[in-house]
Amino acid sequence: MRVRFVLTRFLSLLITFLLVMSAIFFLARATGDPFAEIIEQDPRVPPEAVQRLRQRWGLDKPIYLQYIDFMKAMLSGDFGYSVAYYAPVFEIIKQKLPWTLFLLSTSIVLSTIGAVLLGAYTAWRRGSRFDLIATNTSLFIRAIPHFWLGMVLLLVFGFYIPLFPLYGATTPGAHYSNAFEFIKDVLAHAALPLTCLVMRQIGMYMLYMRSATLEVLGEDFIVTAKAKGLTDREVLFRHAVRNSLLPMVTITALRFGFMVNGAILTETVFSYPGTGRLIYEAIMNSDYFLLQGAFFITSVCVLIANLIADLLYAYLDPRVRVG
Amino acid sequence: MRVPQAWRDRAKIWREKMSASVKLFMKNKAGVLGLCITMTFVIMAIFAPYIAPYDPYKIVDHYLLPPSSKHLLGTNDIGQDILSELIYGARVSLLIGVLASISVVSVGTIIGIVSGYYGGMIDEILMRICDIILVLPGLPLMILLASLLGTGKFYVLIIAITLNAWPGLARLVRSAVLSLRERAFVEAARAIGASDAHIMITHILPNVMPFIVSAAVYRAAAAMMAEASLSFLGLGDPSHKSWGMMLHYAHTAGGWWANYGKPCWWWIIPPGLCIALFVSGLMLMGQAIEEIVNPRLRRR
Repeated sequence: MRVRFVLTRFLSLLITFLLVMSAIFFLARATGDPFAEIIEQDPRVPPEAVQRLRQRWGLDKPIYLQYIDFMKAMLSGDFGYSVAYYAPVFEIIKQKLPWTLFLLSTSIVLSTIGAVLLGAYTAWRRGSRFDLIATNTSLFIRAIPHFWLGMVLLLVFGFYIPLFPLYGATTPGAHYSNAFEFIKDVLAHAALPLTCLVMRQIGMYMLYMRSATLEVLGEDFIVTAKAKGLTDREVLFRHAVRNSLLPMVTITALRFGFMVNGAILTETVFSYPGTGRLIYEAIMNSDYFLLQGAFFITSVCVLIANLIADLLYAYLDPRVRVG
Repeated sequence: MRVPQAWRDRAKIWREKMSASVKLFMKNKAGVLGLCITMTFVIMAIFAPYIAPYDPYKIVDHYLLPPSSKHLLGTNDIGQDILSELIYGARVSLLIGVLASISVVSVGTIIGIVSGYYGGMIDEILMRICDIILVLPGLPLMILLASLLGTGKFYVLIIAITLNAWPGLARLVRSAVLSLRERAFVEAARAIGASDAHIMITHILPNVMPFIVSAAVYRAAAAMMAEASLSFLGLGDPSHKSWGMMLHYAHTAGGWWANYGKPCWWWIIPPGLCIALFVSGLMLMGQAIEEIVNPRLRRR
């Protein structure tokens, strides 16, 4: 049973993925081929040369052959050439991806812990002043644009109270005598972007945890647990939180997509050298292949994260596995 | 001309329902606050030329002046009045909010109703498409679409936002339709020989309407956020003033250091605050409407 579950998940992922790539290909072709347009509009290039270039890049083939070429190239990691970086897109992304993964994984862990604790606590103390303040704050945080939250953090803790460095992931030109110094530098640079991401994530997901916990708290077994004479803490963490964590896992799966959005905006604000910032640069330089490659990689990451979350969910909830 | 009795009855029921809903809404303090905030921005947008002290597209003074009595929020890097820019910026947000919300809601509702009503193969295909868009990261998808369809155009933003946002709504509508479809009045309509189109429009649509109203308000808020994000990344329409665009320029054209090596807070703080206020106003309204529509959410 479990093997079949994993297989179907994996297959649907693969289909999703192929469909997305096909959509990109056809959209790009429908709106014109950027490369051919640039060359053909240049009056110095004679038509024979254009023809030769078209042949060289396979643009003279029928569309379905071009499509096959495109898919082959994408799957083998050949995303084309960046006109702004003068380097293959794959090489650039390979360099930048670790930084984004570092930011995202750290903020997912931190914000999940924060959201679960805050959500459980506010549900437990429903209607208290703390609950009111926390829920209203989280509502307001949802309305704050990611990038502006980052800009305000940068303004306050970067400029006016200069606690943290203003940009980048490491100090340029720094020499580290040991690993500890390097880690310290990286953490100092990541502090503000992480705060920005974590704050918004907690704002978004604390309320889910709160309502999930509220639902569980209404169940009979909670009354039983209380009647048994367990302390509040035991009732909350051993009985309530455990059960309300399950819906949180599903939400975590949906979160990866939002996290990527946040990463693009946050990295742009803090000039953090990750794939998010790369997407921004690609827009600014009209670097189409870079944009396409970055989109490809982020989609793959999100899809894989989804698969992991699905499997985790199945592992935690036996009811899913059977279906 | 005599109005048929059936129409008059229907109008009466509708009026009564509406006035009861309005009363409920007015009791919800947060909802009223949201309505006030939203109305303030709507008025600001509509009467922008009369409220704004300067023309935001003209260079009216020296660049980067700090706030003073002449320019309440100072000037930007090319000497435009920031308060006037802010007031005009409400127009883009409002327009995007309204248009994108109409577009998302109509696409989502139509697909949701068709999918839920017919079921079977159509449902399967439409819902698989929904799933695909739902798992993809939203902002990169919108960026890619905007850059493929041509950046800097207003309608491109709306198309990008719509393509990204319809699946959520379609799912919501579909699940409502699935239960409506089995109700007696739909069966009765079918029994007297009503066509599918007729049933969907006159029997199903009015019953999913309540869900759509609160969803429309939320979609407007989400569309504003999306516009702000895309504009901040430089994909906005440069011929209009928008809050996201102001922040884009503040970020790229020296908002951080041009004030004698210090950041220009009057250029960075206000646009984001406006977005946050407008969006939270809409979200509060959406919540209040949701509580009316879905009595289970009401506080006991």
